[in-house]
Amino acid sequence: MIETQTSAAGEGVRTAPPLIRLENICKSYGPVRANRNISLEIRSGEILALLGENGAGKSTLMSILSGKSRQDSGTIYVDGAPAPFRSPRDALAAGIGMVYQHFMLVEAMTVTQNLMLGQAHGILNPAAMRRRVLELAARYGFEINPDAMISDLSMGERQRVEILKLLYRDCRVLILDEPTAVLTPPEIRQLFSALRRMAADGKAVVFISHKMKEVLDLATEISILRRGEIVDHFLRGDVPGERELAERMVGRQMDAAVEQTPVDKGEVLLELSHASCGMAQDLSCTLRRGEVLAVVGVAGNGQRELVEMVTGSVRPDSGMDSVRILGRNWNDFMRARMSRKSMVYIPEDRKGLATCPSLDLLDNFLLTNRNGFQNFGFLDRRHSATAAADIMEEYQVVADGLHATAGSLSGGNLQKMVLGREFFREPSLIVAENPTQGLDIGAMEEVWRRILEARDHAGVLLVTSDLREAMTLADTFAVMYRGRFIDVFPRTDAERVEAIGLMMAGIRFGEEEKEAVHEA
Amino acid sequence: MDGFRVVRRQTPHRWVGLIVLPAALLIALAFCSLLLMIQDKSPVEAAVVLFQGGFGSLYALQDTMLKAIPIFLCSLGVSIAFRMKVWNIGAEGQFALGGVGATWAVLTFPGLPMPLMLALMLACAAVTGGLWGMLPGLLKLKFGLNEIISTLMLNYIGIEFMRYLVYGPWKDPGSMGFPMTAMFPEEAVFPEVIGYVHAGLIVCVIAAVAVSVFLQRTRLGFELCAAGENPRAARYARIPYGFLLVFVLTVSGALAGMAGCVEVSATFNRLQPSLCTGYGYTAIVVAWLSRLRTPSIALFSIFLAGLLVGTDNLQVDLQVPAAFGGILEGFILLCVLAGQFFYSYTFVRTGRKQGGAA
Repeated sequence: MIETQTSAAGEGVRTAPPLIRLENICKSYGPVRANRNISLEIRSGEILALLGENGAGKSTLMSILSGKSRQDSGTIYVDGAPAPFRSPRDALAAGIGMVYQHFMLVEAMTVTQNLMLGQAHGILNPAAMRRRVLELAARYGFEINPDAMISDLSMGERQRVEILKLLYRDCRVLILDEPTAVLTPPEIRQLFSALRRMAADGKAVVFISHKMKEVLDLATEISILRRGEIVDHFLRGDVPGERELAERMVGRQMDAAVEQTPVDKGEVLLELSHASCGMAQDLSCTLRRGEVLAVVGVAGNGQRELVEMVTGSVRPDSGMDSVRILGRNWNDFMRARMSRKSMVYIPEDRKGLATCPSLDLLDNFLLTNRNGFQNFGFLDRRHSATAAADIMEEYQVVADGLHATAGSLSGGNLQKMVLGREFFREPSLIVAENPTQGLDIGAMEEVWRRILEARDHAGVLLVTSDLREAMTLADTFAVMYRGRFIDVFPRTDAERVEAIGLMMAGIRFGEEEKEAVHEA
Repeated sequence: MDGFRVVRRQTPHRWVGLIVLPAALLIALAFCSLLLMIQDKSPVEAAVVLFQGGFGSLYALQDTMLKAIPIFLCSLGVSIAFRMKVWNIGAEGQFALGGVGATWAVLTFPGLPMPLMLALMLACAAVTGGLWGMLPGLLKLKFGLNEIISTLMLNYIGIEFMRYLVYGPWKDPGSMGFPMTAMFPEEAVFPEVIGYVHAGLIVCVIAAVAVSVFLQRTRLGFELCAAGENPRAARYARIPYGFLLVFVLTVSGALAGMAGCVEVSATFNRLQPSLCTGYGYTAIVVAWLSRLRTPSIALFSIFLAGLLVGTDNLQVDLQVPAAFGGILEGFILLCVLAGQFFYSYTFVRTGRKQGGAA
């Protein structure tokens, strides 16, 4: 591909000035120093990966580069000349465009119409624009129908529209923030090949990620951000292995990864038989005490409906007996739901659903444990404070005491607090939804360990879009695609486990040949 | 290039509140001074009359307290609903219905001894006001009707109902055609406790303590605050949101109803249409200004009541139109709310740094 160019550039003094050069960029948010003295060069023809944990400062750096926020000090040079960006418009004028994790498209418009937005030339020429869209799409191997409504497109297709938007504006630098989070494995392959073609065309690609494998696969340069600083910079050729990269990213030797050893299975806790709820259709599976059932799949394939049904916020469409929880049908269970030794739910949305961010930790502890601390309608704050403090200690929650607001905690600490709070009621059935999303490796492993420990007294329904998490924790896999379980199998079925990536894209086990034909 | 940028404060500043509040009040007064100058009235003289009238003498202060009592009770009520982010704009109607309930007790059971009579009047007022508050709660729960609209509209219905009673069935035959009920017997009038400030003050103190204890110590109070902070988390934690919705509107209405009872009993000694002079709306202003804190509600109730009394004097002494009081109240609310921006944001000077580096 383009390695020759890279290695040539990697040696000695570079003659061509970089497209973009950052010099000593600093940015603080209150006491938090999000970026410290960051210097970085972005060159045409290169794919630069910014690798770092959540909170390392990647997003801050990129929002400065894309003109969304301003650095406190330091300079951005475009083509060797200093360029103060006052707004995203300035950055776009300098040829820097960004694809955010959350797409910014108008759902009720077509692909072409979305591309026309923000083109302030007065008179629009939709036909010419449509031709140009097709031309760009063909050039980079994007399949896209310019007349399709955004609302009909998959996440992968929407992302292509976002990229096309930037290409259409002749951006020379494309920044992609965690672009693979919403993609299926085949879509990831397509994206990567398109990005390589763009780099070959002389564009610079900046790729933000915390997934080592992808970075190693795609990048020609890697910069590692840790606590707001660039701690390492590698060129293709002298990139160390995955493990060493990971260690540099976290800044310490990683603990031995969490090991899953099966425990004895007990009685059936959750039984779905042809259960349906909205988009989720015809789901069947059983979950026993001591078991982790991982529902894997790309987000938006019916997982939310499944969780809402099991946790009781939405009734099953398929009748009360199609969902049996702790030996009772859905209706009976929900009506007589106890707070202790029953079901708990660890939602993905920690600050929006699991906690009240502006209340303190004690009040957030009481939020779901208030039944255990009341006398004649009055709350027993003294005893609950002791219990909450014990949890903070046991789960090593780093916070400014019990009276710190939940919103002031980092994601990892808040999640540990939520776990401690929910496990306090000794649940039999745990429903956990992307429990480690956005956590750093340390907190992630801690959460995984807690979930595995909980199998002693509980069964876990783990709904995750992180395959690594599922692989680490699951006893049984259920792969979800377009609202259905494509397959349910134990972790001992190595062949099927190997095929999970394809199943997530809707290809049943044993049907790979079709996919091969399709790809060619 | 030099400029200013808005930055969110990490921690709220202690002294900001001390500066912002007086500054906002001064700006509001400055606006009103302008209005006075347009009418060729001296703003200085007006300010003197205003404050003399509201706070300048023992007599004035007692007058202010009398107006502050119903405002405080109504405001305490709406603040409970506001805490759950349920926007009860209906204190005025609930206040009127409270007056009706209390009057019904007097007309139906004349001759009860005073303690029993007053307790019964308060209870009836709380029930009628509470039901008037409960109605929009049920409408929202069952049909998703927006409580802002329903509580506001029920004000008109409630007030017209009260007027119907005093123009019709409850009209005193001896009133020479005036729309009013007969004078209440002595047992049905709140006695004076401090100067000529009546026992409604005691009702206020009891209500304030009860509400504070309820919000801070009880499970239901906790659930209510949590539901206000994050309704999604409340549903997640299986807090009975629907019940709480109806509950807060009922309690809110009951407190406004009690204010109505105090007012008909102690101020008018009878039910008459002039009962409703907008205390229920002033109460909303007070609740916002005090940011729902009970002690602040008390202070702002007294402050706004003082302005109302002072404006009455302004009307008499300087022939300023009656609407001036409402304008002043509106300016104060707008300025203080705008000032609250500084509690969570601050301005930072930008530029120079970057230019210097270049």
